[in-house]
Amino acid sequence: MNLRHIWIVFSKEVKDIARDRKTIITSIIVPMIIIPMLSILAGGSVQSMQRDMEQNVTVALAKESNTAEIRKLITEDIIAGFPNIKLVDVEDPLEAINNSEVRAVLKVEKDFKEKLEQGKTFVIEVIYDESHTKSLGSLGIISDAIKEFKKRVVDKRLEEMGIDNEILQPVKIEETNIANDARAGLSMLSMILPVLLIILISAGGIAPATDLVAGEKERNTFEPLLTTKAGRSSILIGKYLTVALFSFVSAIASILGMVLGYFIDPKAMTLGTGAQLSGFSISGTALSFILIISVLMGMTFAGIQIALSTYAKSFREAQTYISFLIIVAMIPGYATILMQPNEIPLYMYVVPILNTISAFKTVLGVNINYTCLSIALVSSVVYVIISLKIAISLFNREKVLFRS
Amino acid sequence: MIKVENLTKQFGAFTAVNKVSFEVEKGEIFGLLGENGAGKTTTLRMLATMLKPTSGTASMAGFDIVSQPEKVRTKIGILFGGETGLYDRLTCEENIAYFGMLNDMSREKIKDRIKTLAKAFGMEEYIRKRAGKLSKGMKQKVAFARAIIHDPDIMLFDEPTSGLDVSAIKEVHDFIKICKNEGKTIVFSSHTMSEVEKLCDKIAIINKGELIEKGKVEDIKQKYGSDSLEDIFIKLVGDKNES
Repeated sequence: MNLRHIWIVFSKEVKDIARDRKTIITSIIVPMIIIPMLSILAGGSVQSMQRDMEQNVTVALAKESNTAEIRKLITEDIIAGFPNIKLVDVEDPLEAINNSEVRAVLKVEKDFKEKLEQGKTFVIEVIYDESHTKSLGSLGIISDAIKEFKKRVVDKRLEEMGIDNEILQPVKIEETNIANDARAGLSMLSMILPVLLIILISAGGIAPATDLVAGEKERNTFEPLLTTKAGRSSILIGKYLTVALFSFVSAIASILGMVLGYFIDPKAMTLGTGAQLSGFSISGTALSFILIISVLMGMTFAGIQIALSTYAKSFREAQTYISFLIIVAMIPGYATILMQPNEIPLYMYVVPILNTISAFKTVLGVNINYTCLSIALVSSVVYVIISLKIAISLFNREKVLFRS
Repeated sequence: MIKVENLTKQFGAFTAVNKVSFEVEKGEIFGLLGENGAGKTTTLRMLATMLKPTSGTASMAGFDIVSQPEKVRTKIGILFGGETGLYDRLTCEENIAYFGMLNDMSREKIKDRIKTLAKAFGMEEYIRKRAGKLSKGMKQKVAFARAIIHDPDIMLFDEPTSGLDVSAIKEVHDFIKICKNEGKTIVFSSHTMSEVEKLCDKIAIINKGELIEKGKVEDIKQKYGSDSLEDIFIKLVGDKNES
């Protein structure tokens, strides 16, 4: 291997790809614009839906319940303190739910007044449609209004009986959440960030990896290249480093896009949850660990991508193989998305891809376990070596290189 | 300059080249004549050190293709196939310089050589333009310059005129003549009798991986009592296929 030849191949490939408008647009500019745009649009639509769900709760009465007495009960006793709930008149109440004209239909027992006066129980049936998000979302708001009414009736009945309403509350639950906003933000990041990073890093290398070997074979530039003084390993390493570099540039562009989106509209970027993604701090050592582990994972992907591009007979075949790699990478990402840092078993720190996900989750968790991070780091180095050895071995095999 | 001894290449059970031996003197043009799949490209790929021989070897400008492949590569230039494989997003100058750098030439030497080649091939006007924006003919000249940037002693041409139009074929023939005039030793593969007859000092006819005849064109014609190389070729290949 010759460092000078590696550098010559690397600088030529970087220059070549940097001049490829298509690659620059798809791997750098698009993520920087599309990611914040999509997040803002998706987050904005979630926020607007939530607002709509909370503010415009329309209810109708079932046909058999549409009497003056029941209307009075609903409007004056149940929803009077809830300006966001409105009773509306519709022709066919059940159809109105389907048409999204109303969120729910209330069916009240006709003899409710007598039962109320006799201190008995009467039923209010809330008819809703679980398949309509807004209808389902309104159920809680309507139930709250009915519970409020129920509490007033109980208080009144107890008062009339001369009983303190504390008798119904032998124990009161007080919840104290010790997680601050920043920690909650980290918990959310530990779910989203690892899977997103893995997808971005594996996707960033597709264009250069496909172009640099399979593309070169198809353009007939490969054979002249193999007859220069540069050895095959030097040529391969130069190309490999280019793929690794572009994977990171693309991932960094995407992360910058997300940061940009967060500054433009923090709520939208957290899908309307309002989770605080700022104000927390990660130690320099932990940050160095995850940065190095991410770089190593990118290098492993670059090795596999170059190996696949070498094995492929054509540019298209290489594209198919390498695109499939993203799906392979996504599976462990999504399978562990809800896993919390303290639930990660030790073996996950040595399994490819899972080791990077685990390292991220650990660093974003409450207690950082440096032993586990070290295991993830060492296993990552081993995978870089293995993937590179596979790539070099394929690149040196005549049967693979001149496969047609 | 080139000495090929019992060169053999097997791909599994299939023998692509079988004990091929020939010699080419300095400054000679040697033609490898054969049908498609006869073993011409495999032979040239072995001489270019892209493929390792299963057995046998060859000496190229004093270096062995098996034990000194890196040294062999500093002495050879190649032009394979009719298509000019260039990097479209690099300028012509950058395309040529890349191969100079990979052959360990100094920046100054590369600069001087590009200047000389640009003048020789009439590329001065477009040498700083991106290769992707050039016509096929212009690209071809850049590919010629790239092949000889490091001033190799030996040039290997594998069916360089395949798929080209008449004027492009003439450019290739002229380039081969330039190489010969510069004293380069040339191995040239083709299945077109007329161009082999026109350009080569010596030829070898290869069929199913085996060398079935070699020598000067005139000597072969005399030996088989025919003025047509095509007839001799068909007779030899046909006889071999029947036996």
